[in-house]
Amino acid sequence: MSSAPHHHLPDPDPAPAPSPAPADISVVALARSFGDVHAVRDVTLTARAGEVTGLVGPNGSGKTTLLLMLATLLVPDSGEIRIGGLDPVTQSAEVRRILGWMPDVLGAWPNLSVRRSLELTARLYGMDRRMAAARAEELTDLVDLVELIDRPTRVLSRGQKQRLSLARALVHDPRVLLLDEPASGLDPGARIALRVLLRRLAAEGRTVLVSSHVLAELDELADRSVFLEAGATVTDERIAAARRTARPWRIRSLDPTGLRAALVAAGVPDDAIGVDPQGLVAPVASDEAAAALLAELVKAGAPVTAFAPAVGDLEQTFLDLNGEAGR
Amino acid sequence: MNTFSQIWTIASIELRQRVRGVAWYVLLAVFVVIVLVVTVLTTLATSNTDQPGAVLYSIIVYFVLLLGTLVAPALSGTAINGDRENGTLATTQVTLVTTTQLVLGKLLAAWITALGFLVAALPFLIFALALGGASPDTAVVSILVLAVELGVVAAVGVGLSGLIRRPLFSVVTTYLVVAALSVGTLIAFGLGGFVGQERVTVTNEYIDWSVDYDESDPVTGLPEDPVCVTDTYEQPVPRFDRVWWTLAANPYVLLADAVPIHFDTYGNPKDVFGSITYGVRSSQSAPEIDTSYSECDGEYSPSVEPPSAREVIENSVPSWAVGLALHLALAVALILGAISRTHAPSRRLAAGSRIA
Repeated sequence: MSSAPHHHLPDPDPAPAPSPAPADISVVALARSFGDVHAVRDVTLTARAGEVTGLVGPNGSGKTTLLLMLATLLVPDSGEIRIGGLDPVTQSAEVRRILGWMPDVLGAWPNLSVRRSLELTARLYGMDRRMAAARAEELTDLVDLVELIDRPTRVLSRGQKQRLSLARALVHDPRVLLLDEPASGLDPGARIALRVLLRRLAAEGRTVLVSSHVLAELDELADRSVFLEAGATVTDERIAAARRTARPWRIRSLDPTGLRAALVAAGVPDDAIGVDPQGLVAPVASDEAAAALLAELVKAGAPVTAFAPAVGDLEQTFLDLNGEAGR
Repeated sequence: MNTFSQIWTIASIELRQRVRGVAWYVLLAVFVVIVLVVTVLTTLATSNTDQPGAVLYSIIVYFVLLLGTLVAPALSGTAINGDRENGTLATTQVTLVTTTQLVLGKLLAAWITALGFLVAALPFLIFALALGGASPDTAVVSILVLAVELGVVAAVGVGLSGLIRRPLFSVVTTYLVVAALSVGTLIAFGLGGFVGQERVTVTNEYIDWSVDYDESDPVTGLPEDPVCVTDTYEQPVPRFDRVWWTLAANPYVLLADAVPIHFDTYGNPKDVFGSITYGVRSSQSAPEIDTSYSECDGEYSPSVEPPSAREVIENSVPSWAVGLALHLALAVALILGAISRTHAPSRRLAAGSRIA
C-alpha cells in the first residue's frame, strides 16, 4: 500500500550537481542574539528558485528569528543575507517588493472582512483600487476562502486564518516566499491543498522557504532541507553521518510468522526485529541494503505487502541529529 | 501623492478596524445626550442675558475638549502596540508602506476619531450661533484651536503606543500626560503661588472713636480733629505673578487665551473664554507689596477704581502661542520617537515576536 517516499535530503557523498537556478536566498554566517540569548549563532544556507527548501529544527533552534531577519524585520548582529541579491537591511523596500512572508503568529484585522483585508494589503503594496479588488478575489479563490470572503476575519477558524495569511503573503506575487509553520492548524485536506499550491508556486520559478514541525509534511514537499540546531545550520557531513545509521523499516506480509523466519534467514538478527500493529520493524542500514533485503524476502517466497521506512526521511534525520546531540 | 495615499490606506484600516463599531456609536450618542442637557440648562440659565449664545458656545467647545481629551487616549493609546499584540504590525511592515507613513496614518485615524466629537457637537454649536451673541471670529478660532488640541492628544496617544510596549501602560501614560496638562498645570500654579508667597505690610490709620469729639464735619460726618491710631500688620500674599506661565500649557487656558475676546458695554468678557482669560491674565500682575489706608488724612479720597477686565487683558501678555508651541513640540517629539522605535528592520527585538 505505502511506497517508499522520494528522497529529498541533499546527498553529499556523490557531489550533487550544481543547480543552475539562482540562489534567491543566500545566508552566510548569520548571527543574532537578544541579550545573552543567542537565538541564531551561525546560519549558512541557500534556497534556489524553482525549489521548495525546508527549514527543520526543534523548538528554539532559531527558525523564526532567522525568518524575521530574512523578512526585513530584524537586523542581524553579523553575517550576510541576500534576497534576490539585495540586502534586507539597507535595501529593505526593494526586498519587500519581491518577498512574501507568512508569520507563525496569525494576525488579522479582526473587524475587516477577508476581501477588505486582502484589498487593503494590496493597496499597501501600491496597487490601485481596481487591481487590488481583482487580486483579492483571485487570492480567496486560490486559498479556498471564497465562501467566507465577506465575513469578518475574527470568525475564521485557525486553519482558515492560516490560509488568509498565506493569501496575504502572495498579494504582490512575490518571487521569494518565506513561510513559518504554514501547515500547523490545517486539516488533512487543506494540507494536501497547501502542498499542491506550494509545489506549483515553486514550479512557476519562485523560491519557497518553509519551516515546519510536521516533518512528514516537509518530506513530501521540500526539494531540499536545511537543519537548524541551537541557532546553527547542521553541516552536510553530520547529516550524511546521521543518514548512514540504520533505520527502522516496516514490513508487512500475509504470513507474519514466515516473514520473521525469512528476515532471520536474510541476516537480520532475531532480537533486532520489532513488532508493531502494522507489521514487523527491522533495522536497515541504507537504501541499497533495503533493496537487497526486499529481493531476499521475495526470493524466499515471503508474501510481502508493504515494505517502507517506518518514519519519514526528515523525521529520521531529525531524530538521529537530536539523539546525537543528546549523547 | 503616493505617500498620502499610503497614509490614507493605513488610516482607513485603522478607522475600520479600531474605531468603527457599536461601542463607538454608543459613546457618540452618550456624548450627544450630555451636550444636549448642557445646552438646555445653559440656555435656561442665560435666557435673560443679552448674549446667551456666547456663553453657550464657549461651554459646548469646552465640553468637546473635555470629552475629546478623555476619550482620545483610549482610542489612540494602543494604535501601534495593540497591532503588535494582534500580530498585524509586522505583516503591515513587510509591505511597501514606510514606518513614517504607518505612524502618520495611525495619527490621522486617531485625530479623525477625536474630531468625531466635534462633528457630533456641530448642531449645538450652530444652535448657539443662532441664539446670537457669539462672535464669528471667536467661533472660528476656538474650533481651530480645539481641533489642534485634539490632534495633540491623538499624537501623544499614538506616539506613546509606539514607545511603550504594553498597551495598558501606554493608555495610562497618555491619560497621565493629559491629566498633567489639564490638572497638573493648575496644581502647579496654585502650589507655586503659595510656596512663593511673601509677607506684605499693611498700614492702616483709623480714627479712634472712643474719644469724644466736639465738632464734626457736616459733610463727611468725620470729626474735625480726629485722634488717629496707626495699626500695622503683615499678611502673606501668594505670588501668582511668578508662576502664571505654568497655565500656558493648560489646554483650557490655552484655548481661552487664543480666542479673540469681546467685551460687553461694561468692559466685561462676554463668554467663558474671556472670563478664564481675565482670571489668568490678572494673575500676571504683582500684588502690591505695601498697602496702606488712612481714614485720617482728612481728604475724602475716592478709592481707586480697580481696572476693568478689558484693561487687565489689554495690559497683559498672551501666553497661548507658547503653550501651543509646547504642545506641538511634545506631539512631534513623541511621534518621531514612535517612528524611530517602530522602524523595521529593527535592531531591538520587536515585541510580540518570541525568541525563536
